[in-house]
Amino acid sequence: MFKKEFLEEEDKLKAQWKESYDKLYKGKEFQATTDSGIQVKSVYTTRDLEEVGFKPEMPGVYPYTRGIYPVQYQFTPWFNNLVLGYGLPEQTRERMDLLKEMGARGYFGKDAYNLVFDLVAKAGYDPDDPEVKGRVGHAGCHFATQDDFDYLFHDIDLTKVSVVHNICRATLVQIALYVAYLEKRGIPITKVYGNSMNWLWSFAFVGNVAFPPKSAFKLMAEFIKFCCRNMPQWNHTNIVSYYVEESGGSAIQEAGFAIAAGIAITEECIKAGLEPDEFLPRVGFQIAQAADFFEEIAKVRAMRRVWAKVNRERFDCKNPRSLHLRMHSQTSGVTLTAQQPLNNVVRTTLETLGAVLSGTNSIQTNSYLEALSTPTEESHILALRTQQIILHETNIPNVSDPLAGSYYVEWLTSKVEGEIFRIIEQIDKRGGFVKCWESGWFKEEITKSAYEWREKIDKGEKIIVGLNKYVTEKEQKVPVFKYPEIEEEALRRLKEYKEKRDNEKVKEALQRLREIAVLVNETWPEHSGELMPAVIEAAKAEATLGELQGVLREVFGWA
Amino acid sequence: MKEKKIRMLLTIARFDGHDRGVRHLARKLRDFGMEVIFTRFVYPRDVVSSAIQEDVDVVGVSFSVGGHKSITSEIIKGLRESKREDILVIVGGVVPDDDVPELISTGVGRTFGPGSSAADIAQYIKDNMGNIKD
Repeated sequence: MFKKEFLEEEDKLKAQWKESYDKLYKGKEFQATTDSGIQVKSVYTTRDLEEVGFKPEMPGVYPYTRGIYPVQYQFTPWFNNLVLGYGLPEQTRERMDLLKEMGARGYFGKDAYNLVFDLVAKAGYDPDDPEVKGRVGHAGCHFATQDDFDYLFHDIDLTKVSVVHNICRATLVQIALYVAYLEKRGIPITKVYGNSMNWLWSFAFVGNVAFPPKSAFKLMAEFIKFCCRNMPQWNHTNIVSYYVEESGGSAIQEAGFAIAAGIAITEECIKAGLEPDEFLPRVGFQIAQAADFFEEIAKVRAMRRVWAKVNRERFDCKNPRSLHLRMHSQTSGVTLTAQQPLNNVVRTTLETLGAVLSGTNSIQTNSYLEALSTPTEESHILALRTQQIILHETNIPNVSDPLAGSYYVEWLTSKVEGEIFRIIEQIDKRGGFVKCWESGWFKEEITKSAYEWREKIDKGEKIIVGLNKYVTEKEQKVPVFKYPEIEEEALRRLKEYKEKRDNEKVKEALQRLREIAVLVNETWPEHSGELMPAVIEAAKAEATLGELQGVLREVFGWA
Repeated sequence: MKEKKIRMLLTIARFDGHDRGVRHLARKLRDFGMEVIFTRFVYPRDVVSSAIQEDVDVVGVSFSVGGHKSITSEIIKGLRESKREDILVIVGGVVPDDDVPELISTGVGRTFGPGSSAADIAQYIKDNMGNIKD
């Protein structure tokens, strides 16, 4: 594809380069790999583009390597998607208001909130469960009943804002409570915007409690079916592979597992009677933007390309939006250190810059306190300011996919693409995503790679500034976040909620839910589409998050 | 004479999402010659009963999302009630500095924050095994 004369001239120059290299570094060979283990050279040329079959591409045009839209940030900056949540809902609301006041915005300048719920709610437990003692309102917002939505949203027009409900394994139940709440306020569910995780796999590969794989996919498909039919503007599924890299997996493992998960969800939804073009446009991804600057950029570019190819070739999608990989990038928590914590400002800045250069759609910049605590107000604002400085002061967002055509970036994008397809093939050979999950293969792969990473650090082969090199005796003191003591109040509210409602009605609704859940589970996919309405009915009868999820746990399994 | 191997129960609550560090530590401490039992626990009493049943010398508990004060004090109380205060208890993970003195006064030997080296932890255990009394 390149003119012969151009290549010959470059070859000549490369020979000169080699000569000067040999003169200076006689016999010394440079060896390096990316963090995922892809061997890299110290310089790249047009020949490398030829080697990987580099083709002309444009943003907004298949296979979307350069971005899913024709322009990137020129008309629509990325979503300042900072997670927030702690304590009681009204305390979380304070932080929502603060970030809004500081200029955090969603797509098209809309108000947008990325609400993270505490681990208790994420798993679908009520605060009075003895297992969750000491954890209520930590690492996320406490949530147990539809009343809790009122503390968060009472004066907000929910048809005008976008809300991410970051709740993983209790997705169905929590949205059922949201639907009940919306009805109470007279807001049609067809008019609300937002995003659910619906990614019941989160944390499962590190050994945390979760639905078993087969059940999880049934539940995900049930949720998707409900949203397709009733909540047309709701982004029903977010494949969160962020945790793969955070638990120790490599960038290519993360990307490969994520796309394979997307394939598995699509197959399950087809079983449930949906057309891929019906639900794929509302599937998104959440990935890590970690330390290896160029590899992480190549990862995002390659994932967009692979997703488009897979959905066109494997599932025969016709709707271009089914081919668009919408990406939310989160800077990496695991790259941050508790030692010399201010260094983390630099790390998250570089990772945010990488995310911007990759053409992602939405970014979460972690607070520099991540290794020590939940963000304080000051560190949260600084994380937002990092994005705003890149957006407004650097001129970087003026050009779409500015790294395109870079010998190295294009070569690496193609290499990562090849690795992603290799992983998908491996998973196919092992019988698919669910089988690999059941056999513990993902966990093994991730654990192996985590071990190798830490070994390199311990041996000093990989340098982490402030941790294994440039270590200082003097401690850098930074103010950390203190959780408000809320457990007692959460328990009091729950008790009051249960006393006020019609408990007989709740019991009946839960019984009805149990019957339908059993039916859906045992005859899957014959009665698909019937579960979510039953969860909503029980939510309207004022069952709590823990009670509703308790039924699903009992019927669909939990381990 | 062959030295007795140190037995350790290394554990994290089933509820805690972040176990990358503790799983790595389990493997490293085995590499350093200890017998390490790694489990996830539901209630503090599970830690106490496993520690006694497995007859360990050391219990290590990891935390990343709170609960460290109440859970640790219940574990230590349980061990005392079972007359096993000889078992060394250490805590790792994300624990705010301000909470450390309280944990130590409850009976925790030491806390190890993020980025701690497995070698340091192993050395501390060797030096202090069974020495912590109230």
